[in-house]
Amino acid sequence: MLHSDIKSRPTYTQLEPDLSGSQHLLIVEGDTVLPGRLDSLAGTFAPVEENLHTWLVGTQAGGLGLGKVWRLPEVADVVDAFACATRGYGIGDRLYVQGTEPFLWSVAKAAAIIGFSAEQIHLHHAGSLRRRVWCTHCHTVTENVTTSIASCAGCHRHLLVRDHFSRRLGAFMGVMVDAEAPGEVPAVEESFA
Amino acid sequence: MIGETLTLKVAAASAISPSLRHLRLVAADGGKLPPAAAGAHLQLVLKGATRTHRNAYSLISRPGARDAYEIIVRRVPSSRGGSAFIHEQIKVGDVLEAGWPGNLFAPVRTARRHLMIAGGIGITPFLSYLADFAFGGADYALHLCCREDEQHVFDPWLAGKSGVSVHWDADGRRLDIPALLAAQPVGTHLYVCGPAAMNDEVLELAAAAGWPASHVHCEHFGSALSGGEAFRAFLAKSGVEVSVGEDESLLEAIERIGVKAPCLCRGGACGVCVTPLLDGEADHRDHYLSAAERETGRLILPCVSRARSGRLVLDL
Repeated sequence: MLHSDIKSRPTYTQLEPDLSGSQHLLIVEGDTVLPGRLDSLAGTFAPVEENLHTWLVGTQAGGLGLGKVWRLPEVADVVDAFACATRGYGIGDRLYVQGTEPFLWSVAKAAAIIGFSAEQIHLHHAGSLRRRVWCTHCHTVTENVTTSIASCAGCHRHLLVRDHFSRRLGAFMGVMVDAEAPGEVPAVEESFA
Repeated sequence: MIGETLTLKVAAASAISPSLRHLRLVAADGGKLPPAAAGAHLQLVLKGATRTHRNAYSLISRPGARDAYEIIVRRVPSSRGGSAFIHEQIKVGDVLEAGWPGNLFAPVRTARRHLMIAGGIGITPFLSYLADFAFGGADYALHLCCREDEQHVFDPWLAGKSGVSVHWDADGRRLDIPALLAAQPVGTHLYVCGPAAMNDEVLELAAAAGWPASHVHCEHFGSALSGGEAFRAFLAKSGVEVSVGEDESLLEAIERIGVKAPCLCRGGACGVCVTPLLDGEADHRDHYLSAAERETGRLILPCVSRARSGRLVLDL
């Protein structure tokens, strides 16, 4: 489900250091790290290790030395850390993020707010395909959606989860699936496990 | 040319240094002028004795001003006539034709901070930036690199402005560009306007320091680039052939024989004049075409580019 005809659907790449960068910040959602994967990331980022900081987020993040390592309980702490850093990042810095899409875009948005440009941010999707869904009717965001049709946390409409993606919201578009024929809800599939 | 023509009258002219002349231009009919934003330029039609020049100059007047346009023109020793004409011929009361202001170098509104590096007369677009930032409260720094004897020339426009540093070629006064570029916070936009060698150096250093390309902006002086060996150009749609002299551009030759060609900056930056090239090899001197587009050899910017092959065939 990572490829779509919908143009707004983001695509992601493998992480590798951008050698033109000056300082490098790697932010990893801990429970998306497969066994051995942190070793492989350490190898990939070895060329910039002297200027590398790694933030491991969540409980299951393994303990490996990838430059200077900082542990954070959850993504909200990453957002806070960015929001509190007023002059701490340079125009030559690079940000690399690995995790689920809600994680990636929460971090990317927090970084963009303090001035990071899209060219400075590299995103790699890993782990669950679960989606953040934005209801086009009541504008409520529903988290952790894994099914093709989900109940809106705000208005409880049955929302068809589309591939249309908003980078501003870090969310996929959800539209009422039975608007034409109330009550006729197609079979729900576990599409984004 | 985009938009209609303006008829302007020279309201004031003064030498602010031996090589710099300041002009204040108002609407010839006494009316209001179209407003222009920070970074805008004005294309003047300068009708000399032997030929007509169309040169673009940065507006230094306050952004949004409608009473007058102000420019500063440096007399270029190797001038093809435009700057010499402004310095020697133009007097108060003269009427000039001009295009509407265009803007290819506007400050980026989403920038967290604006870092400007000017070389000499390249400060002109930044004089309008400063006037703009004074209202908006934007975070900025301007570094002017100039000759020591010109360090006070722009004082009338810099008086009372913070964040301005002046540098020249002497111990302790030179600008350490790599250190400056390395020290900028995330969200900064860089603007550079100066001689080609300085522009190229700053752009190269910014790339080496990891600046994202979208945050680096440059305005080149175009006119000095357009001379070269004479050649011929055949305009296929019009069915006429024109000789392009050593000291005129392909665009000027096209205009001389009365063929209409679109243009805006006349300096190889905006791409408005881009024309399909049907035959011949171009000597590309613009800053607009991508490497891939140059590779195909099928497009040319007649305002600055010339022929490598002796004869070009244009779809014009």
